[in-house]
Amino acid sequence: MNTNDPLYREIILDNWKNPQNFGVVKNPDIDVSEVNTSCGDRVRLTGKIQNNKLVQVAFTGDGCAISKASSSLFTEQIKNMPLTKIKKLTKEDVLNNLSVKISPARYNCALLCFHALQKGLK
Amino acid sequence: MKTYKKDFPIFTNRPKLIYLDNAATTQKPKSVINAVSNFYTKYNSNVHRGVYDLSFEATEIYEGTRQKIADFINASVLSEVLFTGNTTESINLVAWGYARRVLKKGDVVVLSEMEHHSNIVPWIRLKDEIGIKLFYLPIDKDFRLDYKAFFRSNINFKKVKIISLTYASNVLGTINPLEEIITLFKKKCVNAKFVVDGAQSMAHIKVDVKKMGCDFLAFSAHKMYGPSGVGVLWVKKEMLDVLTPIFSGGGMIETVTKDKVIFADAPEKFEAGTGRLEAVAGFGAAVDYINAIGLKNIAALDQVLTKHGLESLKKIKDVQIYGSLNAKDRLPIFAFNIKGIHPHDASEIFNREQICVRAGHHCAQVLLTALNTQSTLRASLSIYNSTRDIDRLIGGIEDVKKIFKIN
Repeated sequence: MNTNDPLYREIILDNWKNPQNFGVVKNPDIDVSEVNTSCGDRVRLTGKIQNNKLVQVAFTGDGCAISKASSSLFTEQIKNMPLTKIKKLTKEDVLNNLSVKISPARYNCALLCFHALQKGLK
Repeated sequence: MKTYKKDFPIFTNRPKLIYLDNAATTQKPKSVINAVSNFYTKYNSNVHRGVYDLSFEATEIYEGTRQKIADFINASVLSEVLFTGNTTESINLVAWGYARRVLKKGDVVVLSEMEHHSNIVPWIRLKDEIGIKLFYLPIDKDFRLDYKAFFRSNINFKKVKIISLTYASNVLGTINPLEEIITLFKKKCVNAKFVVDGAQSMAHIKVDVKKMGCDFLAFSAHKMYGPSGVGVLWVKKEMLDVLTPIFSGGGMIETVTKDKVIFADAPEKFEAGTGRLEAVAGFGAAVDYINAIGLKNIAALDQVLTKHGLESLKKIKDVQIYGSLNAKDRLPIFAFNIKGIHPHDASEIFNREQICVRAGHHCAQVLLTALNTQSTLRASLSIYNSTRDIDRLIGGIEDVKKIFKIN
């Protein structure tokens, strides 16, 4: 097998090794945790809202490369986005960030952060 | 080394499959599949009902399996063998049909850190409902049960009413010396009844319930080459009168009037509703299959696989093994992690080569917390696996290290 893996491409490996927005936002308006029940992985998402905009966002937690990379790309995607627009995001929008097709068995990994945010915006 | 792969049609249909998830469920041999199919094509009718030949023959198959299981575990009488849905259902029958009625606030249930959730969750529910206490036997540095820790505790031995332990860990592979443990605990905890979770052990280790001295034994067919959906709770004869059914309705009564019911005797009393008839038929064939190979031969093969697995995994840099490195009293179940790599990512890479392993918490979060990890990979082997399968897994680990660039 060569290292040119069909799933673990540069974009995923980079965001796994050096995730963007990894940490905790101070004095957050959103602070929510979500568990992937199939593996026990946990993500904590924190965010700051100003003028109906998500001005800061961060995540922490232990997860697989897919969940970490997806959380990294997703938080980049929603940073500085108006809440009205964030609420309209679908899971396809989140999965598309990864630029590769992942198997349904990994959807929960890739969507962990998205599910956390949905919970936080309820 | 003899392999039994040819007995299992799934490997004909998927010749490249390397199935290493036997602690989750085993594959089914042709004889079991045929027994299930034959039940539908030749004997299908409800049991214990009709006067007609067809129903009589179906009943003979159903009760024949009960007899085979009774012989397999050396039960005293047939009625000690109760069919349930699976191990979880069996343990719940003990919890709700016995413990819930007998245990009082302050009573103690002894478990271990290496239990599957099926042998933890029902007891937590009873703790919340009745106010019983749970005592978890810890594991030692060699991933074995430190059962002597109990005797160093300040538990009032007389308060211990249930001791419920697994025969073999579904994560560590550790085989617990249950005969020794039961003898010791019964001497000290005179009011305790002993429950054994045999889910992982039945396809590997001979169980003689009389010799072992337990009061209940729970296991599932699907982890011993049989169909899913059927399990057994073996109940020591004296306990059959104390145990009450959880489900009631058809097939479990002697007489019913408008406001009174007299239950039938065991085993019918505990088997309300139509059972999993075809699965029970297949279960009988599974017991025949294990008997034909012989548990001694299976244990010998297990040792070859365990030794090879441990030797191979030990050699790889960046692999952490959760389990004893000593093959003695250990099943070929290997929980491990590759440093820095999440089990989901590793198992995804293994899947490219059709290597099936489990990745996650293995329904043993209490154990994983004690091991200070959230999830692991787990390869669990069976009679159709070979040392070559282990070598393929090792190759898979090397692939993972390459893709994630760790060296």
